[in-house]
Amino acid sequence: MNNRLKILIVLPMYGGSLPVGEFCVTALRQQGHLVEVFRADAFYSAYQSFEDLRITADRLDYLQNSFVQLISQSVLAKVETFEPDLVLALAQAPMTRQVLRRLRKDGVTTAMWFVEDYRLFTYWKTFAPLYDIFAVIQQEPFFTELHRAGQPNALYLPLAAQPDFHRPLDLSPVEQRKWGADVAFMGAGYPNRRMAFRELLHFDFKIWGSDWEGDHILAPYLQLNGARVTSEQCVHIFNATKVNINLHSGIDANQLVSQGDFVNPRTYEVAACKGFQLVDKRGLLPQAFAEDELATFESMAELKEKIAYYLHNPTERNAMAHRGYARVLAEHTYVHRMRTLLQFTTERIPGWPPSNESQDVCRELPPELAHDVSALVRRLNLPADVGFDDLVWAVRQQNGRLTGLETALLFLDEWKKMYN
Amino acid sequence: MQRYLIVQLARFGDLVQTKRLLRSLAGPKREVHLCLDRSMVPLARILFPEVILHGIIAHRSHGNAWKTLLENRPIFDLLAETTFDTVYNLNFSPLNFRLSSLFDPEIVRGYKSKNGQDLIDSWAALAMRWSKDRRIGLNLIDFWSGYIPRPCAPERVNPVAVPRGNGIGVVMAGRESRRSLPVPVLGPILRTAWMKNGRNRVVLLGTTGESAAARALIKDMPPDLREKTVDLTGKTDWSALVEEVSGLDSLLTPDTGIMHLAAHLGVPVIAFFLSSAWCHETGPYGLGHTVYQAILPCLPCLEHQACPHDLQCQSPFSTPKFLRLFSTEKASHALPGLLGMRSRLDPLGGTYSCFAGDDPDAPRRAAFRHFVADHQGAKGELPSKQEDASFAQTFYRERDWLLPSAQKQTFPF
Repeated sequence: MNNRLKILIVLPMYGGSLPVGEFCVTALRQQGHLVEVFRADAFYSAYQSFEDLRITADRLDYLQNSFVQLISQSVLAKVETFEPDLVLALAQAPMTRQVLRRLRKDGVTTAMWFVEDYRLFTYWKTFAPLYDIFAVIQQEPFFTELHRAGQPNALYLPLAAQPDFHRPLDLSPVEQRKWGADVAFMGAGYPNRRMAFRELLHFDFKIWGSDWEGDHILAPYLQLNGARVTSEQCVHIFNATKVNINLHSGIDANQLVSQGDFVNPRTYEVAACKGFQLVDKRGLLPQAFAEDELATFESMAELKEKIAYYLHNPTERNAMAHRGYARVLAEHTYVHRMRTLLQFTTERIPGWPPSNESQDVCRELPPELAHDVSALVRRLNLPADVGFDDLVWAVRQQNGRLTGLETALLFLDEWKKMYN
Repeated sequence: MQRYLIVQLARFGDLVQTKRLLRSLAGPKREVHLCLDRSMVPLARILFPEVILHGIIAHRSHGNAWKTLLENRPIFDLLAETTFDTVYNLNFSPLNFRLSSLFDPEIVRGYKSKNGQDLIDSWAALAMRWSKDRRIGLNLIDFWSGYIPRPCAPERVNPVAVPRGNGIGVVMAGRESRRSLPVPVLGPILRTAWMKNGRNRVVLLGTTGESAAARALIKDMPPDLREKTVDLTGKTDWSALVEEVSGLDSLLTPDTGIMHLAAHLGVPVIAFFLSSAWCHETGPYGLGHTVYQAILPCLPCLEHQACPHDLQCQSPFSTPKFLRLFSTEKASHALPGLLGMRSRLDPLGGTYSCFAGDDPDAPRRAAFRHFVADHQGAKGELPSKQEDASFAQTFYRERDWLLPSAQKQTFPF
């Protein structure tokens, strides 16, 4: 599928799928697609502000619901202006049922990448039938349930890494000291992790991330006072840590290793940093990595044993990390995921994608413009054979003052619409 | 040195009507630039010799799109490199929105684009709201100069119109033919005007497209009038047109660019406003002009919508009673569906008073002008008895009150 598409990505107001959505934007742009982003997170502080009103709960509910409706209408306005070939929404993107029905009526193809655990986040039942494509990070029995709910186009689309972001770093000694440890965990303080990590305190151990409040035993090991760790800081931690613990979250404090199915993004991200990790066994992990590409554990005893083993066997540790790294680059990047999604959409939606009739703008240019327009096309990271309409949209996506050439292109676009 | 740019990409009449804003910005240690369609540059050079002109291709002049870009780009580069204190971007057009991308949005008034999002100035947004009630209306000249809180006095815009001795000019049609009187209606009116003016010279003005109408008008003329008539349709460049109009005793015209040119030159205008033309919006500006305004319930209408009333607004102009009113200008000769209006000025700008007929909207319009003057900080200059709070209720929006407004910035000098 070589067609260059216009894709609108709708990011959620908050949550873990936000960075995933950002990586989708990058990956789709790297494939030459024209991507516009609806950043709902910009509205989240306003949404939260209603909760400071001290009003009755029913009024608060009404106001926040109205606000979400308004945000969803804004998505619709964006669709009507941008006219995308595909609207890709990440889990919890503010797309109301009314707006999804309207998009379907208008013939706009929609896809959801539901990067959540369907057993915990059950709201999908209401929304899944309203999307044309529903990509998920779990398999059966979720597929059957989706089909029963009226969604025939379910796609297994596991999470991934973004190799130009999640990558090996040359850390300075200062950075190594700041971000490094023999053993570390980066993530939120779920009940199973709180209990599990009490057993790791005899190692040189660091805990990074938020939601660890109220745990006096783990408090001395918590870094940055439990502040939220940015995606960039995560990459430093994964690079600097000898053994990254990757224990999938669980809300049952009695079941420390949850034996779940989906694979979290950290698995791919640590591997893409060429970091070493010990990850709890997951039902879908064997599809992603071979046994010699990723070290796993099934119990706390095994975890502790393997930590000790790999700390004392750096060569084996590094060899495992290298193999995991190679597998991620070969199969588990967001570029791979987006290709899969678009291919699946092509197969399932008749007539999609629409043919792109845009002419190669550089080919038709008068010679005195060719050099400057080609330079602009390169600066905007557009493919050399970009069409005029896509070039105009990419110019318009820029912030701040535009140059004479950029403005002249936008002006010409309107001039053509008026007079041709 | 303070430097201002006005972007006026519309046509002849609009260019002339930019005058009050231009004049208000001009002064010592100030540089006023005007970006306009290339075809308007020769005219602008005559009308506004003190202004620095930047002619671009905005109108359709050829079919070669890349040529448009090639010719516009160096001018856009120059504008982008020039430091302007304020840019007044006057036209509600996609072209203007895109052109504004050259500038920091904070210095652009009117219509602008900020990070790819089109934005409308609060003053323009307010005008869009009152424009839905066109019976009131504010002259376009005053709307555009309204971007600055203290524009120059209306008296400074155009000279008082007086006859110049070289006969009557007749504009054969405007861009919208529905707003012009048909030749059979215009003929008797011209004859009346000619006799009233001492049977002096008559000159027919317009583009080549109006030459056929001019020939038809001449054909129906009595021989003595025909003998005195010169057909200059399609034969004048901007310079010749300005020279011709500047010498006239009066100009008979629908709502046209030549009409505004006559007002600019201080030549009395006798205008026929019907259909979508409304003298309180685009009537000739200054003292000494007369407008016969059709005033049926369906007026002013919209140009792009077909008339469901068989152009009934032309009817009052075709009756003998109109010729009597036109000849005498007496209130007692008023006729239904038509108002005789005389241009006047008040502290807000140009407006009209009725000398024949009953203008049912006059009290509301006076109150509206009070509202606009109040909004512009000139409340004390109009009689307070005309105050009407309902306009504020109707035209102000909650967010005008709630959020910062670019329009309320102080004038920079």
